[in-house]
Amino acid sequence: MTSHWHKKWYKTVIVILLGWMAVAAGRPEVTLEIRDHLFMPSELTVPANTKVKLIVYNRDPTPEEFESYELNREKVIMGGQRAIIFIGPLAPGEYPFFGEFNPKTAQGKIIAQ
Amino acid sequence: MKSIRVFLLVALLSTIILVNFVSALHGYRASMAEAQQLFDRQLAATAQLLTAMPQPETAAIVVRQTEDLAFQVWAGKERLLMRSSNAPQESIAPFEEGYREINFSGYRWRVFTHFAPERRGWVQVAERIDLRYRLADKMILESVLPILLGIPVAGLLIWLVVGRGLSSLRQLAGALQKKRAEDLTPLPLEEPPEELLPVVKSTNALLARLQASFDRERRFSADAAHELRTPISAIRVHAHNLELELRDLQHQHRSIEEVPDSLGKLKGSVERMTHLVEQILDLYRTTPDHYPARFEPLDLYQLAREEIAESYAAFAAKNQSVELRGGAAPLLGDRFALAILLKNLLGNANKYTPEAGHIEVWARTEGERVTLRVEDSGPGIPEAEYPRIFERFYRVGGDRHDTSVEGCGLGLSIVQHIAQLHHAQIELGQSASGQGLSVRIDFPQQAPLPNVAGEGDD
Amino acid sequence: MLLTSVIIVLREVLEAALLLSILLATSRFMQLRTRWFYASLAFGVVGAVAYGNNLTAISNAFDGTGQELLDAFLQFAIYLLLLLIVPLMVINHHRGAYKRNLLQGAMLVAVAFAVLREGSEVYVYLSAFRTQPDLYSSVMTGALLGAGIGFSIGALFYYLLLGLSRHYTLLLAGILLTLVGAGMCAQAAQMLIQADWLPAQAPLWDTSALLPEGSLPGQLLYALVSYEATPTPIEVIVYSVSISLMVLLLGFTHYVSRSYRQNLPEARAH
Repeated sequence: MTSHWHKKWYKTVIVILLGWMAVAAGRPEVTLEIRDHLFMPSELTVPANTKVKLIVYNRDPTPEEFESYELNREKVIMGGQRAIIFIGPLAPGEYPFFGEFNPKTAQGKIIAQ
Repeated sequence: MKSIRVFLLVALLSTIILVNFVSALHGYRASMAEAQQLFDRQLAATAQLLTAMPQPETAAIVVRQTEDLAFQVWAGKERLLMRSSNAPQESIAPFEEGYREINFSGYRWRVFTHFAPERRGWVQVAERIDLRYRLADKMILESVLPILLGIPVAGLLIWLVVGRGLSSLRQLAGALQKKRAEDLTPLPLEEPPEELLPVVKSTNALLARLQASFDRERRFSADAAHELRTPISAIRVHAHNLELELRDLQHQHRSIEEVPDSLGKLKGSVERMTHLVEQILDLYRTTPDHYPARFEPLDLYQLAREEIAESYAAFAAKNQSVELRGGAAPLLGDRFALAILLKNLLGNANKYTPEAGHIEVWARTEGERVTLRVEDSGPGIPEAEYPRIFERFYRVGGDRHDTSVEGCGLGLSIVQHIAQLHHAQIELGQSASGQGLSVRIDFPQQAPLPNVAGEGDD
Repeated sequence: MLLTSVIIVLREVLEAALLLSILLATSRFMQLRTRWFYASLAFGVVGAVAYGNNLTAISNAFDGTGQELLDAFLQFAIYLLLLLIVPLMVINHHRGAYKRNLLQGAMLVAVAFAVLREGSEVYVYLSAFRTQPDLYSSVMTGALLGAGIGFSIGALFYYLLLGLSRHYTLLLAGILLTLVGAGMCAQAAQMLIQADWLPAQAPLWDTSALLPEGSLPGQLLYALVSYEATPTPIEVIVYSVSISLMVLLLGFTHYVSRSYRQNLPEARAH
């Protein structure tokens, strides 16, 4: 596995360049909104085993942190801003996420199918 | 570790904070869980109540509701019989018995879904989660807040208590700091705490050993000087006899021209040795710790006159003029010691003033003090040397000291001892005449404290 | 609200307090001046506030990945500084004063960076509630509880390190700094994956059933060694490589400076 990694390492630059192109080439996109410390919709369905571009709009004036232990993602989204988070490729299943600043209400899950 | 007090404060306060805060959190969590259960039971009770209410058969009733509760009563799964105004038309949650959390109407709700078998219909009751948590939070916060507010109080108390606990240590440090170099009395700590007892004990034992060895050293030099007196007297007598015998021989035979030169040198050396031994004994005798002072009213002016008269021969030998000025200078003092002091000052003046020089002695009352000043017209002493000339056997210029002047370097040490005995202050300076040394000693008129003399054990 | 803010603040404070107490304790042993740490803390706090206030602009930079890149940069920089600090500590221990200004400076920058990163997160979190007065007291209480616990653990840990014998302090500090540094690297890798600079992968294993990341022990472990329940191969590799690099470097400096010390009397004899 290590040698595999080494092979990949010097290609990282290319991977990064290709990354942007891949985004431009049209990855599946899903949008999510934060409104009144709530995720709308609270359930998202995404294709499994594919990298997905998640766009989160924070419609509240206050910042919120999108966090998911299952997705290994955390990102602060300031009030009125938009954030892009790449997730996946995911195995089929449910991946809960929450807003760390208002975890009681800001809850949701991503369902990979 | 810089400070025991800071260490104890931080360590203790951290421990208290850690233990208290963690248990407060635990309490908060337990209360929160309890509150959630209570709220859930209320939801279930509301559902029961709604089931028991008579329901309309035709159109759905919309009940105006405050914002924190929403409900729907269904006949079967299709027909809505009754709902709160803040609940949507369609079912707010899947028809499954139990609790779940769901978003609708712009809020997140805790929904209880219940199937009432007697009516064959579903009831859904929902409560806003944010309000629910806010309420619980507010209640429980009341119990957490005192723990938080108690911390500064605890910190202040720890600071004060630790300071109190360390006070004996501070006392000990203070006592050690105040000790002067020559003060070897035991530490005055009363009832030291158990932890400091070994320190105080061993320090006092060390001080006692040091005192003993100092005493031994002092006694040794005094004893040695004392023991030397007898053989020196014998040598003096023998030298005198030798001179007489030589003169007799000279008289009888006329073969020897004169008394040999070396005999005169011998006599000179013996005199110097006698002087040295006397000075060592004086130095020992006048040690403030040991001197058995007897203070009596006397006039320093008078005493100075007597001492000048006594050593007049020495001044006359060098053709020096001595002038005594001032006036009545009454004070309480030890006559014997003051006489030694004057003798030493006059002796120094006599020694260091050249032939036909002038010496001035002042004794007079100045306000509350009696001042004695002896000024000579000798070469003087550079100011840098002032602090050192009171050291024993120290002589200005060291080896280059003018050997024509005899002296052993103890005179000013003796003067200092006697001044200390009288709580007097010595000030060195230049003579008014320009060159020469001026020694000024300020005596207090009042009797010195009685504990000055004889505090030592012997 | 209270529990959330306790966890958020505790996690951030603990990460910074731990690094600070280890560096402070070793500074004490090396007889470095510790007063400069106040300046370092102040710089960190000012930086954190500046970071928090400009987070919108930072987030939007680099096609919306500015936050991840800056975070990754800070963490990787701390690791590089630790890579400098730990061997210098070993050299200083074995052969006396050696490049102490460099050591001191590296420590100060590392602390300032750590405080900046952790502090900005706390600052943004607390500022989110400034406009919600009914929640603010609860959030502030939680923040104080979390900060209290975090700083207390840091202070007690500091005294523990000072209480150990010199040798063990250095050993423990070395091990902990290695783990902290590796954790920083893994988190930086995580951030680069999120920014799509490194390829995303399926996780190697999943221990979330054993120890959920969101639980209190999980969060504590995250603060200490960057515990990750579902790490991807890249993270595991980065974690192991950074540990091995530190260990290799330490072993090398240990060997060299020890042989230097052994050769010292001979060198004097000639």
